[in-house]
Amino acid sequence: MKISACRKSYRGKTVLQCPEMEYQPGRIYAVVGPNGSGKSTYARLAAGVIKKDGGGMAVVSHEKPICHAGGSQCQNSEWRKNTRIKEILYMPQKSFPFRMSLEKNILLAGNDRQRAAKLMESLRLSSLSGRRARELSGGETAKMALARVLMKPCAMLILDEPTSAMDMESAIAAEQLIHEYTMETGCCVLFVTHDLSQARRMATDALFFFHGELCEFGPSEKVLYDPARPETRTFLEYYGGLGQK
Amino acid sequence: MQSAIQKAIELILSGDRELGNILLVTAKTCVTSSLIALFMGVPLGILLGAWNFRGRRFLVIIMRTLMGMPPVVCGLVMYILFSGVGPFGRYKLLFTVNIMIIAQVVLITPLVIANIETYVSAIAPLVQETSIGLGLRPWQTLMLLANECIYPIFSTYLLAFARSIAEVGAVSMVGGAIAWKTNVMTTAIMLYTNRGSFTLGIALGIILMSISLLVNIVVTVMQGRLNR
Ligand SMILES: Nc1ncnc2c1ncn2[C@@H]1O[C@H](COP(=O)(O)OP(=O)(O)O)[C@@H](O)[C@H]1O
Ligand SMILES: [Mg+2]
Repeated sequence: MKISACRKSYRGKTVLQCPEMEYQPGRIYAVVGPNGSGKSTYARLAAGVIKKDGGGMAVVSHEKPICHAGGSQCQNSEWRKNTRIKEILYMPQKSFPFRMSLEKNILLAGNDRQRAAKLMESLRLSSLSGRRARELSGGETAKMALARVLMKPCAMLILDEPTSAMDMESAIAAEQLIHEYTMETGCCVLFVTHDLSQARRMATDALFFFHGELCEFGPSEKVLYDPARPETRTFLEYYGGLGQK
Repeated sequence: MQSAIQKAIELILSGDRELGNILLVTAKTCVTSSLIALFMGVPLGILLGAWNFRGRRFLVIIMRTLMGMPPVVCGLVMYILFSGVGPFGRYKLLFTVNIMIIAQVVLITPLVIANIETYVSAIAPLVQETSIGLGLRPWQTLMLLANECIYPIFSTYLLAFARSIAEVGAVSMVGGAIAWKTNVMTTAIMLYTNRGSFTLGIALGIILMSISLLVNIVVTVMQGRLNR
């Protein structure tokens, strides 16, 4: 999956600048950085929700998701084989609860009751399935939004701080689900988070944004533990310390 | 004064034929015009609120301006267009119920469009971002937006109906307030008051106010139910 070089400005001020990036199937890319560093803007560009400066989409090429590196971990389940693959799925930082029940919200993304039930079960939403989505709490809404975006297989999954409103227990369950989804579909995942320990748990690779620029990119053992750039080092010192494994 | 109100209530209860005719013409005009305005205005309002095209803001300004258009001005324009020398004169619609309906549609459709647009433009970015993110098609996004608008659509309809039933300028200009034909509640109040006969005027006033009260009760009750 290739995302072209892109720049995005609002009212003449550049808020994001990023070179062309290629994302490998089966890998989870943590997008980290302080508030306002352009993480969400990058997620929106990659998802095709907003256009680059001067128009045009950021997504250039897409390949069928293939399992990476011999496919040893990839299960390619029945579910994945029998459903049409969407190119990109994206969960915004503020997902919208549509005016219908929680379960109907989830089924909007794909009419697969079995899968919906499984996802609700994993995120402990089953008892809320008939509740009006507008009346859910912030964390419950976030869980619903995650279940909704995981209904269909895709080539690239983009999640913008999916767990930041969830409690710890739910967040761990969510991480587990995202892992399973990645294994089953062989998609690549862009995972925006400002939680360093979560990034360390989840990611195979990491992108560090700072003041709207891609500051550092590489395998997570490097970027999230022993970064080269001083900006990244300062960030890590605040959030979880350098080099701890 | 008290006796006038008493007489008015007696008139309402007696089932006066002229009063009945006025109510019938009013209902026909206002229900038809507000429904047409709703069916044209809601889709346009949703599109205008959700779709960012060049000239969108210009259109919004036009709609908000038209929304505040005085009914007499609307009546005047329609009168000129449909009078004998006007471009639509050959349809011979002047002083019929149909032209009253057309004039009211012109008058209240912008109100529907502007109201729906205001609501939709506030939620459209979030709805679209979520919907595109789920890989839904544009028409599905539009349906979801419409589903979010159930309450505004409902309350806007009642607002449009209230405006159409309360206005006098447009219907009197193009309808001419002809008794037994194009006379509606508001024009009848003017007509009878000018003649010095207050009873029918007061009776109609009472009915108009009751309708307004009913509309507002319904809006308030439905707000809680539809808005979740
Ligand atoms: N629609 C917008 N209009 C104007 N400025 C925006 C808009 N979206 C984002 N920005 C600005 O861009 C910068 C980056 O925002 P964002 O990508 O949301 O940061 P974060 O890394 O916290 O997700 C912020 O300074 C924000 O104010
Ligand atoms: Mg953000």
